[in-house]
Amino acid sequence: MRAISGVRLAAELRHQSVLIARDPGPLIGYTLMAVLLATATRPLYAALHQLTSRQAASGTDQACAGMAVMFSLFALKVAAAHVLNERTWHTWDRLRSSPAGFSEILAGKALPIFAAIALQQAVLFGFAALAFGLHPHAGWGILAICALAWSGCVLLLGIGASTLARSPGQLSAAGDIFALLTTILAGALAPVALLPGWLHRLAPVSPGYWALKAYNAALTASPAALARPLAMLALFGLAGIGLAAVIAARARLRSWISRQDLLPSGRPAQ
Amino acid sequence: MLEASGLTKRFGNTVALAGFDLTAGAGEIVGLVGHNGAGKTTFARVLVGLVIPDSGAALLDGINVTRFCSPARPMIGLAPQELALYPTATARENLLLFAGLYGIPRRRARRRVGELADALLLTDVLNRRVRELSGGQQRRLQTATAMVHEPPLLLLDEPTVGADPITRDALLAVVRKAADEGAAVVYTTHYLPELEVLDATLAVANGGRVIARGNRAELLSRVPGRAIIEFDRPPGRLQGSGSGSEQMQVDGHRLTITAPNPAASVAPLLTRNPEATAHLQTIELHPPTLDDLYRDLVSA
Repeated sequence: MRAISGVRLAAELRHQSVLIARDPGPLIGYTLMAVLLATATRPLYAALHQLTSRQAASGTDQACAGMAVMFSLFALKVAAAHVLNERTWHTWDRLRSSPAGFSEILAGKALPIFAAIALQQAVLFGFAALAFGLHPHAGWGILAICALAWSGCVLLLGIGASTLARSPGQLSAAGDIFALLTTILAGALAPVALLPGWLHRLAPVSPGYWALKAYNAALTASPAALARPLAMLALFGLAGIGLAAVIAARARLRSWISRQDLLPSGRPAQ
Repeated sequence: MLEASGLTKRFGNTVALAGFDLTAGAGEIVGLVGHNGAGKTTFARVLVGLVIPDSGAALLDGINVTRFCSPARPMIGLAPQELALYPTATARENLLLFAGLYGIPRRRARRRVGELADALLLTDVLNRRVRELSGGQQRRLQTATAMVHEPPLLLLDEPTVGADPITRDALLAVVRKAADEGAAVVYTTHYLPELEVLDATLAVANGGRVIARGNRAELLSRVPGRAIIEFDRPPGRLQGSGSGSEQMQVDGHRLTITAPNPAASVAPLLTRNPEATAHLQTIELHPPTLDDLYRDLVSA
């Protein structure tokens, strides 16, 4: 493994930040939509909360947590698009043929996207605090940990998705379906308890389900309830990056197999 | 500097490299010519570690890049055939990224970007986004990204596509200067006259291997040229020059001589045919060109 160079990493971080800044529309759009929908759905969540728990609530916690999950999932497409662009622009091979190692390239691309997704959530919760007096029960620090964990999970899933997609159109369609399905299973649109039975049983396979559980723990419960959801988010993130690694390794494996086929004796080439 | 020997690579049933040999010394520009699919691009991808060859070796300053590409990568500047730039970033941002990737500190990188932009006539567009640049400007920018870290080996794959004569001259001058400063350059092109401007040696690739390699004069001497002599009436039956190395073809008032050195055949031929010489109108000499050489080698 090549050593990470400060000059190289700084150049990649700077460049990726420029690329995000040059095309901020999707991230700004998803952030504004999250803020607007959280505002509009507060009364709905308050009513739902009263219906399911028979206790009065402002609905702000549920609305903000739900929208944070939903629109971060849409931002997953942004993460995936930035990786996919490297392929469509043919720059991925340029990066690979440079002295930068794979981990360095990935870090250079991922960190600014991660910061952008985390910022999206910071704006949403910051707005809710100023406009509706949102105050996380477990403290802002714990909420920040949830937001960072979920942002990291979304980013790694996005990198995994980008290795599967063959074109921006395919990525966009698959990303929308995945985001909506995950949002529904998370209970971000309607509480999981109110979903049809089969969806209810499927809910834990959604990373959004665990993200919402983490946010709910930070907003309304105690840090102790966070451990399992955060562990699950880490697992989903690992699955995303694992998928990317497997697909990247597959190309090398294919090359290796074709090399064996050429040799009549089956011995590796010298 | 670069010594590649016996490189082979298959992609399924397609043979991309079939024993590709090429050497390039420091300060040498090797003009690598060949039609699409001749193995030029795969060869470049092998050198930077993007493709693992099935067999063979490529040594760069003694390092076998097919096994240890990491230490060799900083020594190579690659400008691939297809454009590989960030269209939403500016030309300057693209150059600074590639400078950074090769470990050049920011301040030095800025200075180098300025120098290259001046030399490649890109100064006016440095702050424009790549997608707003013309095809020729993008191509020059791509070449600049390969040269920004002043590598000892430059792999330039058709860098002048879409360039007008002025910018082409500028680009060729920059490449020549890099070679004069000691870089080995493998320069792929379909515009063979560029190789004369660059004073390049020649490598002709076909079917995944190099079928001819040497300096231009030596290779050109293997290919016949032509002399076309016009008379004011059909020249009739003519005696040859006596060297026996030429072919003569009469078509109406025109005589075409095909010979390794057609100029050397003309004078003796005219001396031996005074009757025809009395009716001489014009003589046109067509020495063999690189295009002729290429056609000759590939068709053979």
